[in-house]
Amino acid sequence: MGDIVCNLLDKNYRNKKALNKLSCSIEGEKIIGLIGRNGAGKSTWLKLLAGHLKPTDGEIRIFGENPFNSLKVASNLILIEDTMTFPPFLNIRELLKMAGDFYQNWQGELAEGLLKYADIPLNNYHHKLSKGQASTFNLIYGLATRCAITLLDEPMNGMDEGIRTDMYRAILKEYIANPRIIIISSHHLAEIEHLLEEIMLIDHGEVVLHLPLEAVSQMLVRIKGEVNEVKEMTGYQDVLYEKQDVSYEVIIERNKLDETYDKQSKTLIQSVSATEVCKLLTNKSKGGIDDVFNS
Amino acid sequence: MNISNDSTAPIYIQIAEWIENEILAERLQEAGKVYSQYQLAELFNINPATAGKGLTILLENDIVYKKRGLGMFVQVGAKELILAKRRDEKLSKLAKEIVQEAKRLFVQDEELIELIKKAQREE
Repeated sequence: MGDIVCNLLDKNYRNKKALNKLSCSIEGEKIIGLIGRNGAGKSTWLKLLAGHLKPTDGEIRIFGENPFNSLKVASNLILIEDTMTFPPFLNIRELLKMAGDFYQNWQGELAEGLLKYADIPLNNYHHKLSKGQASTFNLIYGLATRCAITLLDEPMNGMDEGIRTDMYRAILKEYIANPRIIIISSHHLAEIEHLLEEIMLIDHGEVVLHLPLEAVSQMLVRIKGEVNEVKEMTGYQDVLYEKQDVSYEVIIERNKLDETYDKQSKTLIQSVSATEVCKLLTNKSKGGIDDVFNS
Repeated sequence: MNISNDSTAPIYIQIAEWIENEILAERLQEAGKVYSQYQLAELFNINPATAGKGLTILLENDIVYKKRGLGMFVQVGAKELILAKRRDEKLSKLAKEIVQEAKRLFVQDEELIELIKKAQREE
C-alpha cells in the first residue's frame, strides 16, 4: 500500500482522453521528476491527485483516502501551478499569515526569508507580481507549507536563470531538512535531473516508465560504426533510433546488446542520457524530425 | 570538483571517485569520518539518494566501512587499495589501446614487446 496509489485512472475532457488507464504507486519520501511531452497528461494527473478534478473512471488513494473533497488530503498536500490564485484583497504578508493558520507545519520565517532574498516585498499583492515573481512566490509558498506531498507543476515557468538555480537549491535544501514526497513536472529533464531520485515518464495519458534515475540512464545504448558490424552486434533487433550519414548509428535497449561482439572492433558504444531516453521513448518516428524532411 | 550532468559517468560514480580523490590527497584520513550522504547532497547539489549510492559503491569496494549509528569511515589501507585499482584500470586500458593499434598497423607480437622493452630502457 503506497502513499499515493492510482488504479486505472481515466480522465476525459469532452471527447479528448487526457489520462488513459494510468496506474502507479508511490511510497516513501523522495523527489520524483514527472516528465512528458506537451499534452501528455502531466498537469491533469497532478490536478486529480490534488482533488481539484474528479477522474472519469478509476481510483485514487492518497494516504488511503479519495482526495476529492478530503480535508485530510487538502491539509497534507499542496499543488503549485501557474494558474494558482489567492484572495486579491490580502497582501503577501496576510497570505503568509493565513497559510500559517491552515498548514500545521507552516514555516513562516523560511517563507519571509526566501521572499526577501527574491526581492518580493511583503506589502505587495499576488496579482500585481510579474510572471516570474508570481512563480517564485508560489514555489516558496509550496515549500513553506512542508506538506507531506508537494506537487510542483512546471514551478520555474517565467523565472530568470539566476533565480531558477537558487530555487532548485531551495527545493533540495528543504527536502534534506524535511523529507517529503515532492513531484516536479517539467519538460526540461536535464535541468532537474540532479535533484531526482526517480523518474516517471508519461505519454498519451499513460505511464511509460517509473524507475530510479540511474536505471533510466542505463537503459539504452548508442552504437556507432560500420553498418554491417553494427547490425551484427545488435542482432537486427528492434531499434529505437537509427541514423545513417558518415557512419551508421542505432540506439537499442542495453539488455539486447550482444555481449559476445568483437571487442577489438572500432564500433563505438556509448551510454544514453536520461533526457535522451525520455525523448526517444516518446518519439513517434525512429529518425526524429529528420524523417519528415527526408521523406 | 564540479558535478557535471553531461559527463558520461553517472553522478553517483562521480561522487565515489571524488571521495577516492580526497582520500588519495589525504584530505580524508584513513580511519577518519567520511561525509554523510546529506553533506554530499548539499555540497554537490544532488539528491541524497544519489549521494548514498556513491557511498554504497565505496562500501562494496572496502574503501569505507560503516559504524552503526556513527556513519562511514575510511578503511585503513584504503589509499593503497585505490592506487592499486587505478593503476590496474589505467594500465590495462592503455595496453588494450596499444594492442589494437598494433593490430591495425600489422605489428607482430614480438615486435610490439620489443617496442615496450625499448621504451622501458629509454625511461
